[in-house]
Amino acid sequence: MPDAASAGRQIRRGRVVTVIALLGLAALYVMALQFTPPERTMGLVQKLYYVHPPAAYAMQLAFLTTGFCSLLYLLLRDERFDLFAEASAEVGMVMGVIVVITGPIWGRPAWGVWWAWEPRLTFTVLELLVFGGYFALRGAIRDPAERAKFAAVLGLMALVLVPFNHLTVYYFASQHPEPVALRAGKPALPFEMLRTFLTGFGVFTVLYVGLAMQRYGIGARRAIQEATDA
Amino acid sequence: MPESGNYMIAGYLVVAVIVVGYVVNLWRRGNESR
Repeated sequence: MPDAASAGRQIRRGRVVTVIALLGLAALYVMALQFTPPERTMGLVQKLYYVHPPAAYAMQLAFLTTGFCSLLYLLLRDERFDLFAEASAEVGMVMGVIVVITGPIWGRPAWGVWWAWEPRLTFTVLELLVFGGYFALRGAIRDPAERAKFAAVLGLMALVLVPFNHLTVYYFASQHPEPVALRAGKPALPFEMLRTFLTGFGVFTVLYVGLAMQRYGIGARRAIQEATDA
Repeated sequence: MPESGNYMIAGYLVVAVIVVGYVVNLWRRGNESR
């Protein structure tokens, strides 16, 4: 069980990292909107590529972390893994909301429809629903040890969705574009675009770390409060 | 392509609103649970 001082420290550190990430996000906006050339066929809307895939990656990173922390909790029964799994899942949900809103905003002009029930999109919704269920489960169990155990089993089972979602564009007849940078061979982007694209991934990684640290500190404080009340 | 630009602006605004909204939310919860 973390103590109150360390929880407070995590929140403060998380805030510092988050402020750095927000400055990075502002810099990314300037880079993407002002200093990156528009794509020839799609026009300006293509610039959503500098925020949508990084947010999707941050979502996957968050859910992967939840899965691994769940596994570690089941093996080691250390409450901190449960708290971090919860924190990471919440940040993953926020990133997921960004993904499923910015996706259709790009899809409308690019595909002509807001939404298509094709594998990548369907899987992303499924992943968000499962993690929505993860929070419903957590909210339904009062005993902290029971809650941690059941949530860890669900978190671990949901882990399988993460790599599968990544592979949907290869395994199924998917409409969704395949990775342009993280693929075998050279990235299919000119340097000016690749630079902004990779900056996006960096910014969203720092943002994930900052937000998850803060959320972990908040969860730890709540756990301490729960233990005192019991 | 002005219409394409509108979609771009909408997307970037959505990201900013969600990120800032969540940061404010966490900040408040961080202060409350003290």
